[in-house]
Amino acid sequence: MSHAPKIRLEHVEKKYPGSRTPAVEDLSLEVEEGEILVLVGPSGCGKSTTLRLVNRMIEPTGGTIHLDDEDVTSVNADRLRRRMGYVIQQVGLFPHQSIAQNIATVPSMLGWDRARVSERVDELLTMVGLDPETYRDRYPRELSGGQAQRVGVARALGADPEIMLMDEPFGAIDPITRERLQNEFLRLQAELRKTIVFVTHDIDEAIRMGDRIAILGERSHIRQIDTPERILAFPVDDFVRDFIGSGSTLKGLQFEVVDDAVELDPYPTMGVDDDPARALRAAQDANAAYVLLLDETGRPTRWLSVEDLESAERVTAESGTEVLAKVELGATLFEALEQMLISAAAVACVVRDDGSLYGVVRLTHLNRVIRQARVEAREHYERIGAAS
Amino acid sequence: MDGITSWITYVSGRPDEILATTWDHARIVLVVVLGATLFSVVLGVVVHRHPTARALALAISGIFLTIPSLALFAIFIPLVGIGNTPAMLALFLYAILPILRNTVTGLDSVPAAVVESARGMGMGPVRQLLRIRLPLAWPVVMAGVRVSSLITVGIAAIAVLVGGDGLGEYIQGGLTRLGLPNSLESVWTGTVFTVLLGLLLDLTFAGVQRATTSKGLRA
Amino acid sequence: MSGLTSVRARTGDAGTTTDGRDRDPGSGSAAPAEPSWLARARSKHLGLKLAPVGIALLALALFLYYRSLGLGDSVIQQSSSLQWSTKLWPQLVQHLTIALWSTVLVVVVAVPLGIALTRPPLRRFGPAIVTVANSGQALPAYGLLIIFLAMLGQGLRTVVVALVLYALLPVLRNTMVGLDGVDRSVIEAGRGMGMTRWRVLTRIELPLAVPVILAGVRVAMILNIGMATLAYLIGGGGLGVTIAVGLKLQQDPVLIIGAALVAIVALTFDWVGALAETYLRPKGL
Repeated sequence: MSHAPKIRLEHVEKKYPGSRTPAVEDLSLEVEEGEILVLVGPSGCGKSTTLRLVNRMIEPTGGTIHLDDEDVTSVNADRLRRRMGYVIQQVGLFPHQSIAQNIATVPSMLGWDRARVSERVDELLTMVGLDPETYRDRYPRELSGGQAQRVGVARALGADPEIMLMDEPFGAIDPITRERLQNEFLRLQAELRKTIVFVTHDIDEAIRMGDRIAILGERSHIRQIDTPERILAFPVDDFVRDFIGSGSTLKGLQFEVVDDAVELDPYPTMGVDDDPARALRAAQDANAAYVLLLDETGRPTRWLSVEDLESAERVTAESGTEVLAKVELGATLFEALEQMLISAAAVACVVRDDGSLYGVVRLTHLNRVIRQARVEAREHYERIGAAS
Repeated sequence: MDGITSWITYVSGRPDEILATTWDHARIVLVVVLGATLFSVVLGVVVHRHPTARALALAISGIFLTIPSLALFAIFIPLVGIGNTPAMLALFLYAILPILRNTVTGLDSVPAAVVESARGMGMGPVRQLLRIRLPLAWPVVMAGVRVSSLITVGIAAIAVLVGGDGLGEYIQGGLTRLGLPNSLESVWTGTVFTVLLGLLLDLTFAGVQRATTSKGLRA
Repeated sequence: MSGLTSVRARTGDAGTTTDGRDRDPGSGSAAPAEPSWLARARSKHLGLKLAPVGIALLALALFLYYRSLGLGDSVIQQSSSLQWSTKLWPQLVQHLTIALWSTVLVVVVAVPLGIALTRPPLRRFGPAIVTVANSGQALPAYGLLIIFLAMLGQGLRTVVVALVLYALLPVLRNTMVGLDGVDRSVIEAGRGMGMTRWRVLTRIELPLAVPVILAGVRVAMILNIGMATLAYLIGGGGLGVTIAVGLKLQQDPVLIIGAALVAIVALTFDWVGALAETYLRPKGL
C-alpha cells in the first residue's frame, strides 16, 4: 500500500459566506484506485457538497485535494473536470443535441478528430446496452428515464476518465429499472476499474454498490468508513446503527458465500435401490429427521422422513416430498436462508454445477458465520483503535 | 433639471384639467376591459372543449393584436365615424386575446381529478363550471385582464388621432405647438400620466385578483 | 432568483402579449382528444400554411378595391395621395426600412443586455427589469415619439431610436426569461464535464433559449411595424402618411387602403416570424 491513493482530500472545508457553521468541516478522505467509494448519509449531511468539492463545482474554502499526488486545489477547474466523469440524478442531457452529440461533449472539447469521436460514441452506446444504430441520432426527449441515465453514464465515460463522480445517479429511476442499472453498472465497473465516488441516501444502494462505504453525519463528518460487510457486522455507534436500520444482520448475509469456507454437514442419503432400513439407521445415527433421496447422477430429488422409511418396503421416485430448496455453490447465504425457510427439513441443499449434492446448509451455519463476522469486525476495530 | 421644474409647474397649474382627462382615458379603458373580460371569458368557456373552435378563436383574436393600432382605429371610421367609438371598438379587439388565452389556459390547468370528483358528487355541468372550474381558473384569467388593461391604456393614447378623448390630447396638443412654451411639458404630461394610469389600473386589478381569488389558491 | 421565477410564472400565463398569436398549442394538455385529421394538420403546421393564403386573399381584395376606384381618371381628388409609384410604394419601402432596422438594432442591444442581466454580477437586477418591462407595456408610443422628436429633431434617426427603445423591453425580457428557464441540471451537467462558462452559454443556454428569444423578437417586429405607422407624425414617412391623409381629408377610400396595406404588412411579417419560430427552434425540443 505504498502507492498514492487516486483521490485524497485533506482537511477540506466548505464554509458559505454568511453562515456560521461550515457545510463540510475538516474532511479527510482517500479513495483508492479502482474502488467504488459510496458516500451515504441523511439528507443535508453535505454528501453532495463533498462530491462536488472533488471536481470543484464547489470551491473548497480550506484544505487540499490531490489526484494521484498532484495538488489540484487551484488548477484550472474546467480542465480538471474534463478528467473526471460526472453523473447527476437529473442526468442533464442537452435536449437540443442528439445522443451522439451529448456523448461526444468531452471528447470534442479535448479536440479528438471526428472519426475517433464517432467510433467512441458507438463503443460507449454499446457498452451501456443501447444499440448505436437506433439511438445515435435520437434526441433526449425520446428516451425513458432509464435510457437517459444510461446515456448520462456513457457521456460521463466519454473521454475514458480515470475517475467518475456520481451523485445519486439512479435516484430518480423506478425500483425495477434501478436494480437493473445498478447490476449493469457493477458489471461494467468490473471491466473498467474506474475510481468512483458515488453519493446516495439509500443505504441498500450503498451496500450493493460500494467497495467501501463512508457514512456521513452532519457537516460531512465521517462516522464510519469501511467495507459494507464490516459496517453491517459492526456499526461503530448509534448514529451508524440507526442509519443502517433494522435487518442489518440479514443484509450482511449477502456478503457471505456458500463455499469451502462454510463447513457443510454431510447428510444421510440413499439411492432408489438402497434398503430403506439401512437408510433409516443412518438417519438415526446422524440424528436427522430426513434422508435425502439421490438419483443415479447424485442429484437430490426427494426428502424421505423417518416415517416414510419405516412404513415403506422400498422407496420410489415418488416417495416423500420433493426437494425444492437448492442453492448452487457460490450462492450467498442470504439465498441459502431463503431456501431454508421453504425447505421441508429446514436445511438448504447445496449442489454443484452439475446438480449433484455437495452438502447442506443449516441455520446453525448462518449463526456461526454471522457471529464470526462480528467477532472479526470487532477485533479489527480494536486493533485499529489500539493502533491510533 | 429645468425641464422637470417647469413640468411640475405645468402640472400643478392645472390639476383638475389633468385629472378630468385622465378620467376620460380611464373610462375608455375600463369600459373596454370590462366588456372584453365578459366577452372573452364567455367565449373561452364555450370554445374550451372544442379544439377547432378554440384554435380559430385564438388565431382570430391574435390577428387583431398584430394589426397596427392606427390602422385598426382607422378601419372603423368609415363604419362608425370619428370619436371615441372607433377607438373603443379597436381597443376592445386588442383586449380580447390576453383574456381569452388565459381563460383557456386557466381552464386547462384545472386538475382533471378535481372536476372528476365534482362530477362524482353529482354536480351538473353548470355547477361544475361556476363552482369549480371558473374559480380555479380565475387567478390566471385575472392575470390576462391585467395584461389587457396595461396594453389598452398605452394604445388608448392614440385615440385622439381618430377624434377620441384621453391623455393623448396632451401629446397632440404639445405636438401641434411644438417649439412654443409648455408644448413639451404637455407631451410629458400625456405620456407620464398614461403610464401612471396603467400602473394604477394594474394595481387595482391586482387587488381585484387577490380579493376574488379563493384563499386556498393564494400562494 | 425567486423573484425572477415568479415573474416568469406570471409572464408565462400572461404570455399573450409577448406572442401575439400562439400557433403552438402547448397549453392544450387537458383538452379532449382532437380528431385525427386536425392533429395531423396541426403537426404539419396547417396554420402556417393557411396564413399566407389568407393574406394573399386580403391583398387581392385590396387590389380589386384599388382598381375599382378608377384612379386613372385624375379628376378624383384622392388620386394623388393613392398613386402607387409616387406615394404608396415609397411609403411601403420607408415603413419596412424603419421597422426592420429597428428590429435588428433591438436584437443587437437587447440580447447581449439580457445575457449580462442573467450573469451573476448583474443577476439581482433581473426581477426589477422584468417588472419594469411588464409595466412598460402601458407606455404610449405616441408620447415617446414626440418626446424623441423634441430631443433629436425630425427624421429617420429619431424614429429608429424611439422604436428601438420601445421594442427593447420584450426582447430583453424574453432573453432573460428564456435563459433563466434553461434547466439548471443541464447547466450543471455541462459545467461538471468541464465546459467553460462561455461554452455553456453559447452551446447550451442560448440555443435552448432561442424559442423564447425568437418569440420576443417577433413581438418587437410587430410593435415596430405598428409604431412605424406613427412615424409620419415626426416626418419619418411610412404608410401612416396615407392613413393620416385619409383622416384629415375624411376620405374613406384613402383611409381604407392605407390601413389595409399596413395590416397586410403586419400580418405578413407576423407570419414570417412564426415561420422563423418554427424552423429556427433547435431540433430535439
